[in-house]
Amino acid sequence: MNWLRVISLASLFLLLIPVAVLLYYGLGPLRNPAGYSVTVFRSIELTLVSSAAAAIVDVLLFTPLAYYLARERDRLAETLVDIPVSIPHPIVGVALVILGSPRTPTGMFLNSLGIDFYNTILGLVVALVVISAPIYVKSVQPYFEAKDTAPEDFAMGLGASRIRTMFSVVLPTSIPGIQSGSFIAMSRALSEFGSISIIAYYVLQYPFYGVSPASVTIYSLFSGAVPGGLDAAVTASAVMILISLPIALAGHLFRRR
Amino acid sequence: MIDVNAKKKLGPFSLAATLADGGFICLAGNNGSGKSSLMKAVAGFSQLDEGHVRINGIDVTKSSVEARGVVMVTPGSLIPHLSVDAHLIWGSRLKNLKIPDESLSKVKAELGIDFAGRVSELSLGMRERVSLATAFLSSPKVILVDEAFSNLHERREFIASYRKLTREADIDVIFSTQDEADGSLSEHMYGISEGRTQKRF
Repeated sequence: MNWLRVISLASLFLLLIPVAVLLYYGLGPLRNPAGYSVTVFRSIELTLVSSAAAAIVDVLLFTPLAYYLARERDRLAETLVDIPVSIPHPIVGVALVILGSPRTPTGMFLNSLGIDFYNTILGLVVALVVISAPIYVKSVQPYFEAKDTAPEDFAMGLGASRIRTMFSVVLPTSIPGIQSGSFIAMSRALSEFGSISIIAYYVLQYPFYGVSPASVTIYSLFSGAVPGGLDAAVTASAVMILISLPIALAGHLFRRR
Repeated sequence: MIDVNAKKKLGPFSLAATLADGGFICLAGNNGSGKSSLMKAVAGFSQLDEGHVRINGIDVTKSSVEARGVVMVTPGSLIPHLSVDAHLIWGSRLKNLKIPDESLSKVKAELGIDFAGRVSELSLGMRERVSLATAFLSSPKVILVDEAFSNLHERREFIASYRKLTREADIDVIFSTQDEADGSLSEHMYGISEGRTQKRF
């Protein structure tokens, strides 16, 4: 009897009970058509699009940071990266509201450039970037750390700067690690509620006019705006799980290669 | 001309090495004698506690790796996703050096590079030929060869050709080896043991 295996699988089972319960009740006994209404699918669509956009921004903006942390011993930067994930997420939402508010100088400046976060797709994506980028960095950094540095050392000896080395030597052979990290970041963004329920409870922009992100829609169904809302929330949750699961799995599949 | 006086605390002992020579230099020592540590200090991958590194009379003790004009070649020195030809000119293109086709063909012929394809798919010996040719074609001041002459077929002939090429181009070379007999391939020879160098000739 492999007791480590027994204990591990038992704890994993406990962890998965909430998901299994939602899938069972949501698609079975408590199934409610309001859980897969157009409203729900529109909000899942908004969540998928904004989370994918956030993952793309993570890759473009934060890959250099992950590489930097992997190669230079910068303890301060390493600690600072964790801040956005270690504060309660509603605070991130509040921060973005204030940052873009016409009552503050920063907000007046941003508004004068036509940048507005409140109830916009931009605000939604920015919040998702703030909460998913640290996850992206922490997922890609170990990939870079595990890479053999001999090719990079050679490139620098030949006269390439660190950043040139990153673009020409490291990134072309790091696609699997970056793909894996971006899927993990995207699944983190899909699951976000706290910050986006404040900065973008719904979006007031084409093509998602009046649409809320999926987690917010589920919350508002749950909090009982309509009769039978709890059942609808359970069904919508089950649908959301079915859609987001493959994205989380994709991250792990790429990792294994 | 390389002029090194390197003092640095390492794990089991301290590096206290001096080396002042030009040309084709053999550095012989056993595993863990400090060969690689000395080369890393010359290439700029580690900083000295005390001492200096001068290349052709210019002090590069505090310079970054890419600014020294020193290439260190190890058995892993390879940019794996490139093709052989792209690899060979990679370093020279960084410095905007145009290499005429005939010189490229000449170097390939002298160093026995008569194969193509992605460098990651080559045998160890072929990879060493490509890395060493790439280092040469990037026109550095110094090439440090750390055990990267080890997997070559017709090793002595290759080293003789490499010595001839680098002499013509006025590039100094230090190569490390565990085999004292390799001294016969070089113009100058240093032994190293527990981080201390000793000039043989």
